[in-house]
Amino acid sequence: MAGLSFEEQVYWTLIDLANALLTGTFIGGYYAILSIGLALSFGVMRLVNLAHGEFLIVGAYISAVILQVVNIPAFFVLFIVVPIMFGIGYGLQRFLLNRVSVQAMERRGMSSNFGLMAPILVTFGLSIFISHGLLAIFASDAMSINNSLAFSAIRITSDLSVSTLRFIFFLFAIVLLIALFLFLRHSATGRAIRATSDNPTYATLMGINTEHVFAVALGISLAIGGVAGFMIGMTRTFQPFDGPQFILIAFGVVIIGGMNSIVGSLVGGVLLGIVQVLAGTYFGPSAQLVGGYMLVLAVLAFFREGLFSR
Amino acid sequence: MSTWGSRGNLSAKPGRDGRYPILTVEKLSAWYGELRALQGISFSANAGEVVSVIGANGAGKSTLLRAMTGMMNLGKRAHIEGRIECQGRRLDRLRTEKIIEGGVTMVPEGRMLFSRMSVEENLLVGAHIPRARDGIKDRLAGIFEFFPRLAERRTQSVSQMSGGEQQMVASGRARMSDPAVILFDELSLGLAPIIVDDIYDKVRQINERGVTCLVIEQDMRRALEVANHVLVMLEGDIVLDGSPDDLSREEITNAYFGTRPEGVA
Repeated sequence: MAGLSFEEQVYWTLIDLANALLTGTFIGGYYAILSIGLALSFGVMRLVNLAHGEFLIVGAYISAVILQVVNIPAFFVLFIVVPIMFGIGYGLQRFLLNRVSVQAMERRGMSSNFGLMAPILVTFGLSIFISHGLLAIFASDAMSINNSLAFSAIRITSDLSVSTLRFIFFLFAIVLLIALFLFLRHSATGRAIRATSDNPTYATLMGINTEHVFAVALGISLAIGGVAGFMIGMTRTFQPFDGPQFILIAFGVVIIGGMNSIVGSLVGGVLLGIVQVLAGTYFGPSAQLVGGYMLVLAVLAFFREGLFSR
Repeated sequence: MSTWGSRGNLSAKPGRDGRYPILTVEKLSAWYGELRALQGISFSANAGEVVSVIGANGAGKSTLLRAMTGMMNLGKRAHIEGRIECQGRRLDRLRTEKIIEGGVTMVPEGRMLFSRMSVEENLLVGAHIPRARDGIKDRLAGIFEFFPRLAERRTQSVSQMSGGEQQMVASGRARMSDPAVILFDELSLGLAPIIVDDIYDKVRQINERGVTCLVIEQDMRRALEVANHVLVMLEGDIVLDGSPDDLSREEITNAYFGTRPEGVA
């Protein structure tokens, strides 16, 4: 900062900091949407869905393809993508993952440990199947969703601005997380999901069909993943093998925020976003990921259950 | 006041005393793998009865409840044979959640509440089955009237409550599904005697409102006090079945310990 007066140096330092905090916060909303599905399937089914990242990419591809075929405003595609992804999640759990669940393994007289491992292996297989399936269909060319908002920014002062899309996505995230919270708290299905998450055996004693509840939970998980996929497509290009980088973000957020908390995923997302952007601002772009994962490690070291786990 | 189920009897044949059995168990056997834990037992319970099932540890009492709630249908690990009917509907091949819809529900040993939920939420989960969703508000109000303590603590997390209060939640939760039969597993386990007295008072009151109760109890005195029908189990079999008024204390004790009364071959 040679040639700047002391006041100017202070001004730009503060502007850098404000920009980083603002951008990090808004990215955090998007991170929360990337992650909440992973937290939900773990919280309810104890399922570590290793294909979570690939499903986000599937959501991105479905959004992009529909928007290429049908001429509708970009955001309207969510009305199609979300139900499709819900259906995929529901069917996947009902007809595949329920067959290898802890309960299914116990019915077959196998150790329940096997029931914890088997679904992880199945989702690992799915992640490979999906990414290669996408490669076969779409080849490895980068795709994105064309939209007029991608390069637009909201200017707060002459030197402080945020991406319009990031801002919209942040609001979206808040609304979606509140809706999910209210659903889990106040609807009969939501209560059934929470009861099943607490203890599947005693949930069945309440007349709850836990296999259906598991399927609904993965349906919701992937439906929100569809929204996340749409957000990915709107803000950047994507390719069939992009899944892993998103599941890494999701794991980071879930570790920071805790597995059982909706608020946690938002706070986790925002913290990860801020730390990444701060690291990028002060130590260069290559420090972004390292900075983020230092935070993840720090949380693991001091709050093993995450900041918001109960 | 029929906020909780006093449903009619649908079964065709009248049983003992000319009353209609609401629950019939016929030749029920249960296996854990190769181990046979129930030896083909039969009994029936009339509408409005309190049936006490007594027996030593390992006599098969809990297995009986597990069998009746579909929790022994675990493929190779555990299975049952025989017939269980409630209100004329066959339950033995149904999954647990369908059995609950069929009108049988259970208050499990150790209460087993949903620990991350409030009192009210636990009760509402109890009314999950479609049949119970109608009139859910009235039934909830009825439970709060029945257990005023729960009304005071409706928003409190159940994990912060005493054992006795948790037992109230568990009993209230079972009643939210509007059952014809409630199975109580080891109600007194881990509770102070004075609280157990209260709980058994409540069981009697629930029963007076038309719900048939089947109670598993280690404490023979309490089991006999509350019951108007006693089943004594020994090694997976029912060795005594009758009314506590007709049976002598000695007969019951002998059956409980598997000792034969003198003079009987």
